Amino acid sequence: MSYKKLDSEDFLVSIDSVTSTVWSDEAPTLTTFFTSSTTSTNDPYYKNVYKTASTGSVQFAIAYGDKKGSGSANYNDLVPGASPTRTVYGQFRNLVYGDEELDFNFGGTTSEFFWALSIERARYKEKLLPGTLNIKISGSLGKVFELTDNSVDTPTATFLECGRVYQLISGSNGTSYDGGTGYSAESGSYGLFLPDISTIILNPLALSGSVPFSRTDDSAGENIEKMFNAISGSNAASFAINSQETLSSDYVFIRARNSEFNYSENPSFISGSTGDVLFPSQINSPQTFVTSVGLYNDVNELLAICKLSKPLTKDFTKETLLRVKLDF
Amino acid sequence: MGFLSNTTVTLDAILTTKGRELLARGDGSFRITQFALSDDEVDYSMYNPTHPSGSGFYGEAIENMPVLEAFPDQTQVMKYKLVTLPRGTARMPVLDLGYSQLTLKQGAAFSIRPQTLNYLSQAQAYETNGYTFTISDVRLFNSFNGIGVDTPEVTALNSTTTIGTAVSKTVIGTSLSSIITTINTLFGTNSTLTATLQVVGRDSGARASIPVTIKKI
Repeated sequence: MSYKKLDSEDFLVSIDSVTSTVWSDEAPTLTTFFTSSTTSTNDPYYKNVYKTASTGSVQFAIAYGDKKGSGSANYNDLVPGASPTRTVYGQFRNLVYGDEELDFNFGGTTSEFFWALSIERARYKEKLLPGTLNIKISGSLGKVFELTDNSVDTPTATFLECGRVYQLISGSNGTSYDGGTGYSAESGSYGLFLPDISTIILNPLALSGSVPFSRTDDSAGENIEKMFNAISGSNAASFAINSQETLSSDYVFIRARNSEFNYSENPSFISGSTGDVLFPSQINSPQTFVTSVGLYNDVNELLAICKLSKPLTKDFTKETLLRVKLDF
Repeated sequence: MGFLSNTTVTLDAILTTKGRELLARGDGSFRITQFALSDDEVDYSMYNPTHPSGSGFYGEAIENMPVLEAFPDQTQVMKYKLVTLPRGTARMPVLDLGYSQLTLKQGAAFSIRPQTLNYLSQAQAYETNGYTFTISDVRLFNSFNGIGVDTPEVTALNSTTTIGTAVSKTVIGTSLSSIITTINTLFGTNSTLTATLQVVGRDSGARASIPVTIKKI
């Protein structure tokens, strides 16, 4: 009498994609870049990048990997080549390819070293959104190079162990500037965009030829600083990317027929303990006012509740159809 | 807590505490099978059948009321349900518990068999699907049992146990059988403890609450 069974056609499952900005304060583009002056044992592996000088929230991290261990000091000089950059190389290779025999392949050109930009987990919802990446890299001659992913030009993504893979190209908003592949002249693409693990891999060979902007094999570990300067340089200083989240929603359609739910157990609807309806006009022409919809299981346990923004009038001349959305 | 915008009719659905609990169990007990409508917050004394502008305006004061957002506590929402009754119903179903209040000593046993008045064209009747009994603090009872409804879902609900915290307990049955606690430490320096027993007809939606006072001996 107060509960109504739902039919199977009253339920609908919908999956929607929700997008949002990545950086702190919901800024679509990161334009200020800072690193911490505090020395950390992680410095040989990666550097965190902040939005403000007072550091605060990490925005992303820069790492450098080298298959032969160049670019950082060895853990132990008795074991040449075993260094933080080699560890980073193996770490990302495992993450991206899952195969210790493979080298990074940037649009047909293999490389034994790379920079990785890893977006801080707290900045994004579930994964990065292809087609929204726009990052500027400045070179030694003051030239600025704009990179994007090729998801608009090549909407069918390649899949590796890390999920979808797009190539980094010269362009903006997922499209190349030259109408072609957007790759470098001789060294393949400018890197890989890996939205499912929120990581961007940059190809030093392509950058050194085009920007120009070069890495070093120096064991002093300057490569991370070099990339930070290239991203944060006054000519560049622009890093835009959005994130996306897949929300699964259950919709429940609530249908109240004209003859249903026209009386109320509200104490103010009745008079005294005998249950008399308060107003005589409510006996033959009752009006009720729906404020809440409760969703129950078989034993009448209230599982979910939703409120209307204002009372909805119900009487014998009205039928009500409400759509309730449940997000999990 | 806040007021929802009343410029458009929208629905804001959230899981209740009970819903989250059942969802977390992952045993299939979170399964929505039915719905109910309620008019919580509505004060029908604001309904004006003598409105000078006519019947279209009787509910004017209620229809323009902004509604509070939903509370996740399932005991604080869906209190007053809308019910389906034949047109011309002059008396709404109400519960008769046989008591307006309960005052009991430690260790005492008591039972309640509610009746629903003005129900199914009868002056008084027992509801087929029984009644939901909720006590606000289960610690005050050695036992709190619903009797008379034996479906698997109800049996599972009635056998749920708590671990001595001050939480409510809900059981279902055509009657309630209980024994008051004999534990003295609950009283502290007090000579009495109080709780509230809420009973809801599972078919009619009629509800009644009575205070329960436990005396220390």
